[in-house]
Amino acid sequence: MDAPHAVGGAGPATPGRAGLEVSPLPGRSGIRARGEISALTRPSWEQALSDLARRHAGVSYVELSDVAFVDVAGVTALAVTAMSLSDGRVVVEHPPPQLPRVLEMFWPGLSRIEVAP
Amino acid sequence: MSTLTAREAFVHPALFYRTEEEYTRQTVAFLKEGLAKGEPMAVAVPGPNLELIRGGLGADAEGIVFLDMTEAGRNPGRIIPKVLRGFADAHPQVRVRIIGEPIWAGRSAVEYPACAQHEALINVAFEGRAVTILCPYDETRLDPQVIADARITHPTVIDGQGREETSDVYDWEAVVSRYNQVLPPAAADASVFSYGSEDLPGVRRFAVTHAARLGLAGERLLDAELAVAELTTNSVVHGGGRGVLTVWAEHGQVVIEVRDAGRLTDPLAGRRPPERGQIGGRGLMLVHYVSDLVRVHTGDDGTSVRVYLSV
Repeated sequence: MDAPHAVGGAGPATPGRAGLEVSPLPGRSGIRARGEISALTRPSWEQALSDLARRHAGVSYVELSDVAFVDVAGVTALAVTAMSLSDGRVVVEHPPPQLPRVLEMFWPGLSRIEVAP
Repeated sequence: MSTLTAREAFVHPALFYRTEEEYTRQTVAFLKEGLAKGEPMAVAVPGPNLELIRGGLGADAEGIVFLDMTEAGRNPGRIIPKVLRGFADAHPQVRVRIIGEPIWAGRSAVEYPACAQHEALINVAFEGRAVTILCPYDETRLDPQVIADARITHPTVIDGQGREETSDVYDWEAVVSRYNQVLPPAAADASVFSYGSEDLPGVRRFAVTHAARLGLAGERLLDAELAVAELTTNSVVHGGGRGVLTVWAEHGQVVIEVRDAGRLTDPLAGRRPPERGQIGGRGLMLVHYVSDLVRVHTGDDGTSVRVYLSV
């Protein structure tokens, strides 16, 4: 996962379309995503989270300022990944508004995820 | 006789009351019985009735969870997962006792079919569980059809004097299917979008644009967007690959309907809270959680799910 890759949707991912592009965060442990997290892009999102969990040590960052939308299954994948970590936490930066809403609905008080608006 | 044991485990009587005095006497007696047995208890009834019960209990009200059902159970589809299982699942080791009054005078004709189906589905949702749920019905103010349906959705009925009898017409499945009704037509000026899998982002934006134009904003609009994403994705994955979304305004609410070729075979879909670490099972539940009402019609020709969001 050293180069950005796009999966899902038709053609290259651009904000506002159905695609999702995930790349490593420069200088920090974690990922940044761009596009939409939905049924069409679920495989690449879940793959990215699985890679993140494997490399996790202490704190991992998920930067979502260029993600326009995330659905319930996308938030679920993140919550389940965070709950599976043996220690530390995942800091989710600048998520779209659906993310805190769904977290609050189904995983209130989940300590392994810190949302940084 | 495992069947008998299962039937005995879940207790679900209707209480038919005619006066405030009958209401208070019977509900307080029910709760004091639970108090004597040390059972965790919750009361989810309309606000004025909460006060009657609180007043009747006095100091005994301490430790009981009180919820205004007109808010917690505004959408009858979320009462099983959020109110009833929310409380029962928090006390897995012991019998819990709940008063749930989901049908009050003032429920609309559009809401009622979903209310009756909810009462019917409680029986299967709690089958075999050590839970007692008493459902009060106001015999003087509710339509006689509502009272007749309550005899079909409750295995036993209790009158205002506390006399309990077995219902000889109990048949919850009959009520689920009777109220699986064709939905009334959408408004003439409704906006319509026909979508396939490539159009999921587009149909979501279409719904958000029109819901905003019709008056939804802030968190309500966000909820509408999440609900539309779940329903339209469901069409693409389980409902034949495509569907039709229709949106319009009706009596101070935004109504969004999603229709596709799928058939909903599990009547408890969206009403079973998943385990915390479970991957799926939250999509339809979110739709129930955020909506003021959800109506469903399913049959050989497909499924229509209609969500109502108050402006």
